[in-house]
Order: sequence, then C-alpha cells, then structure tokens
Amino acid sequence: MRFLRAAYKLWTSSAKFRVGLSIMGILVVLGAGQSILVPIIGDGEDPLEIAAYKQWLPPSSDHLLGTDRYGRDVLAMTLVALVASLKVGAVAGVLSTIVGVIVAFVAGYKGGLLDAILATITEMFLVVPSFPLLLTLSAYVRAVNLAHVALMLTVFSWPFAARTIRAQVLSLRSRPYVDLARVSNLSDLEIIFQELLPNVLPYIGLGFANAALGAIFALMGLEVIGLGPSETLSLGIMLNWAIGWGALSLGAWPMLVAPAVPLVLLFTGMTLINISLEETYNPRLREVARIEAPRGNGDGELH
Amino acid sequence: MTNTKTDQRSRPRLSARARRWFADHAHAAYVIRRLGRYVLTLWGALTVAFIFFRLIPGDPVSTYLASLEQSHVHNAEEAQRIVDHYRELFGLNDSLFDQYIAYLRQLLVSHDLGPALIDFPTPSQIVILRALPWTIGLLGLSTVFSWILGTVLGVIVGWRRESRIADAVTSVALALSRIPYYLVALMLVYFFAFRLAWFPPMSAYAPSIERAFTVEFLVSVVKHGTLPALSIVMISVCNWLIITRTMVITTLGEDYLVFAEAKGLSERRVAVHYVLRNCWLPLITAFGIRLGSIFNGSVLVERLFMYPGLGNLLVQSLLMLDYNTLQGIVALSIFGVLTANAAIDLLLPILDPRVKY
Repeated sequence: MRFLRAAYKLWTSSAKFRVGLSIMGILVVLGAGQSILVPIIGDGEDPLEIAAYKQWLPPSSDHLLGTDRYGRDVLAMTLVALVASLKVGAVAGVLSTIVGVIVAFVAGYKGGLLDAILATITEMFLVVPSFPLLLTLSAYVRAVNLAHVALMLTVFSWPFAARTIRAQVLSLRSRPYVDLARVSNLSDLEIIFQELLPNVLPYIGLGFANAALGAIFALMGLEVIGLGPSETLSLGIMLNWAIGWGALSLGAWPMLVAPAVPLVLLFTGMTLINISLEETYNPRLREVARIEAPRGNGDGELH
Repeated sequence: MTNTKTDQRSRPRLSARARRWFADHAHAAYVIRRLGRYVLTLWGALTVAFIFFRLIPGDPVSTYLASLEQSHVHNAEEAQRIVDHYRELFGLNDSLFDQYIAYLRQLLVSHDLGPALIDFPTPSQIVILRALPWTIGLLGLSTVFSWILGTVLGVIVGWRRESRIADAVTSVALALSRIPYYLVALMLVYFFAFRLAWFPPMSAYAPSIERAFTVEFLVSVVKHGTLPALSIVMISVCNWLIITRTMVITTLGEDYLVFAEAKGLSERRVAVHYVLRNCWLPLITAFGIRLGSIFNGSVLVERLFMYPGLGNLLVQSLLMLDYNTLQGIVALSIFGVLTANAAIDLLLPILDPRVKY
C-alpha cells in the first residue's frame, strides 16, 4: 500500500518519472502482447517460420518492417526479441538485487573488517572493466538458454545494486531508532527487517533499476558479438545478423533500425526512472533538482 | 551516534611511535595508504581474473581442439602429440598454484604471455602492443575531448539554472546519459557512412595508404577515427555535463561567490576562477572512476568499426578462444584502470590544497 502511494507521489511530482515509466510501459505492453500481436501479423501463418515470405522485402502495408534474409517478418521478430531482452533484464535485475541486498546489509550493518572487505570487493568490480571478464566467461561457457545468461549477468551486475543499498544502510545504521531497537533487545535480524528494511526499500528499487540497466547492456553486448543465448531470438542477435548479412550495404535498414530503436528506448526509459528515483530519495540530489541556490542580485540582497 | 565498541575493534592497532609519525606526516601517510590500497586491489583483481580463467571448463588447448574437430580439421594421433606439446608450452601441466605463480610472474615481471593463437607463434604481448596505440589514441582523444566539452557545457548549464533551455538540455542529457556507445555508433554508421558516405565505415586507415607519418596517412586516420570517436563523445559529453552541473549547483550557495560578485567581477571570471576551480576535484576523481565503463563501452564500438584496437582484439581472441591474448588484455585493462585511479588520487593533494588526508 505504501509502495503504491509512493509510486503515485513520484508520478505526480516528477516529469522524468512519467516519461520514463510511460516508455517502459509501452515496451512492456508490446512485449507482453506479442503472443497476441504476432499471430495478428502472421494472419494465420507463423511469421517467424523460415521462408514464410519472400526474403528481403522492403517495408510495405503487408510487412510494416519488411522481411529479413530468411523471409521472416521483421516486426514480428522484433516483438518476440523484445520480450526476451525484457525477461533477461528483469530476471538478472532481481537476482542481482537479492545478492546486492545481502551483501549490502551484511557489510553496512555489521561494519568493521567485513564491511571493509565487502566494500573493497564491490568497488573493485565497479572500477575494473568487468565486461571483458563476462565476455570471456560466456565465450567458454556457451550459454544456451536465457536462464544461464541471466545467471552470468547477475555475477557482474550485483555490485551496481550493492553499492546503492549499502550507502543507505550505512547512513541509517547510526540513526537513533536503530540504537533504540538494539537497546530494546531486538535481535539483529529483527532490527534489519522491522526497522531498516522499510526505509531502505526505495534504494532497493533504485539498486534494482541500476542492476537491470547494467544487465541489459551486458546482454546486448554478449548477443551482438554472438555469445548470447543461442536458442532465443533477441534484439542483440538481430543486430548481429544485420551486420553479418551486410544489411547496411544492401540498404535493408529495417533489420538494423528495428532492434536498435527498442534498445535505445529501453535504455532511455530505465535511465529516466533511475534518475527520478535518485532525485526523490537522495537528499543531496534533491537540492540540485529543485531548490534554487541563493544568489546575490547585485544590490547586496540575497534571494 | 556511533558505536564506539565496533569502531575500536575495526581500527588496526599500531604502535604509539608509528601513530605519532603518521600524525606528523599526514601526506606521507596518505601516499602510503593509497599505494597500499592500490597494490592490494591490483593483486585482488588479477587473482579474481586468474580464477575466472581457470573456472573455464576444460582447458584452452582442448577447447581449441574441440572447435577444430567441429570443422573436421583433425587427425587424432598427430593431434595428441601436438596437444601434449602445447600443454607444455601453455604451462597447463603444472599444479594450480604453480600456474598462479607463473601467471603473476608473466604479468608483472617478464611480460611474456606466451604464443597467441590469433597470430601463432607471435607472442601475445606483441599482438596486444600492436593494438594498444589505436585504443589509447581513440579513447584518449575521445575522453579528453568529451571531458573538456562536457565540463564547459556543464558550467554553462549549471550557472544559468533558471533558463528553460538549460533545463531542457539537462533533461535530454540525463535521458541519453546511459545509452551504450554502440547504439549511437550504429546510427552514425548508418547515416554518415552508408547513406551519406561522408566517412568510411571501417578500419583505422585506408589500407591503400602506407603507414608512415605522412599527411595523407594522418588525414586518413582522422577520417576513419571520426565516427568511432563521435559515438563515444556524444554520450560521454552528456555524462560530464550532468556531473559538472551537479557540482556547480552545489557550489553556487557558497559565500565567496557573493563576495566575488560584490567585488564587481565579471560573470565569466566568477564562473571560471571561483566556481570551476573549486569543483574540479570530484570531476577528476569521477574521470578515473569512469575509465572502466568507458573501456567497456568502447569494446563494442571498436568491434563495429573493426577498429584495430584492444576492444576488437578482445572480441577476435574470444571468438578464436585465444587464451593467452585474452588473459593479457583483461590483465592490461585491469592494470590500466587501477593505475590511472591511483595516479589521480596521488596527484589530488598537489592539485587541490584543500584535500584532507
């Protein structure tokens, strides 16, 4: 209930949130509706079957985005691919957030040497370019399905979530009500769940948003090189094919534009949501976003 | 309210004399601590990379063999002899700990990474060093240029907060800030290389021109490098704009700005000498921290343009499963980013006397 109210407040106050959530909403609806839309596009047949239509057809009223090299409808491909990308992003995001929450709470709450070690590990993953490591892992462990890929992505995206959450846990740990809870003999776990968790929730959401963003970038990177999940159609694989088939020199721009546009929208939408969350819940950024700093106006007055 | 008991437990115990020395020589203490952190993180990251490479199922030689088998380039008996020879060559017969020591020694001392599968038998380090200048050139120029441009725009946008245009620019920059360079590169290639043919779509220079420091060659390099650099610059500028704007806005409330305006200084002078000079500490730190993600993004850009840098080499060796080169590139990127960050942190006290250790 609190969650819905917070979401509503965010919606009414932040234009960025409105735009970001709308973009994501459209993408999710399109993706979720693919099971309805694809048959409509196919008009009875399966538009994704190889040689369903003639190859390399330009966009027309029959095929809004034309067909590809194997005669499949590009629009249908895009919709199916969109779902795959959204799914992996969501799953990897959730898993990363779970790992990140555990790490952040252990580090932030316990403090001391454990915190120092975990914080150093988190920062190490964030500073050092981890993308080559992820690529190496996928090159040798040829991932076949979405689940494996999501798992690998989690290994690399959890620091994004952990960093965000740990900062908030640290700042909350020294608050008076935590000391009060400790004095009243609540166990550590009870303190974490009853006192800290409700206040960290927005940051967990922000951590999820950051981790999902990183995961989708890594996923796209894997697929574009050809190391992504081999059994599923996804936006990155379409890009890989487009380049491999020389779509650019053939003038077959739909193969390139059709996967690129949803990707750009995905990143833009998620970034806007991230930023609106950060602006609302990070007090330092709040000042930057809203309140105008006092400045003199030349005749000695401060506004 | 802090928990003093936990604090006491977590601080390392030093002798009284050592503590006094550190208190007297704060700067030296800072340098020692930072260098210590650098060495520790470098060691940790390289070890994690080592573990990663050893986690790979099978070993590099058998995997390569398996891929050869798939293309039917395989004679079992002869292959076994060659496999044994290569296993010796790649040091795969030693124990894990020996391999770890050999790995560290290779990277830090002898700089000899073993033969590369891409260009057998050229040692991997030669292959990597061939690609390195291109990446340094591309990334170096792009990051410096976008840092400068982004900072200048950020100051302007932060300074004129009331303007609607500044708000619009900021929102656009925020929305675009995390779009992968690769997607921008795709659009640039489509429009400028294929539709308009203003720029070439591939490589670092026209293959017909000889590699020498001639004007012709340099012009070709610039022409070929423009689109890759532009894809990185366009998004990086957005990032720097946002960071700088945030810094400028938090500085705007300071008293010394009112004083400067009261003195009658021009707006530009106040902006550059009072605001920017006090901001650039976190800007430089942020630069170091971002280097890793800039490299991440550039890998795909280089691949798209087949730009002969480290990113393209990385993908090539991935697809060929060239173990030595992979290890070399990963280690080099880790080393580069961590060293750059340590160097920045050590230079900071010199650049800004307000830094507290």
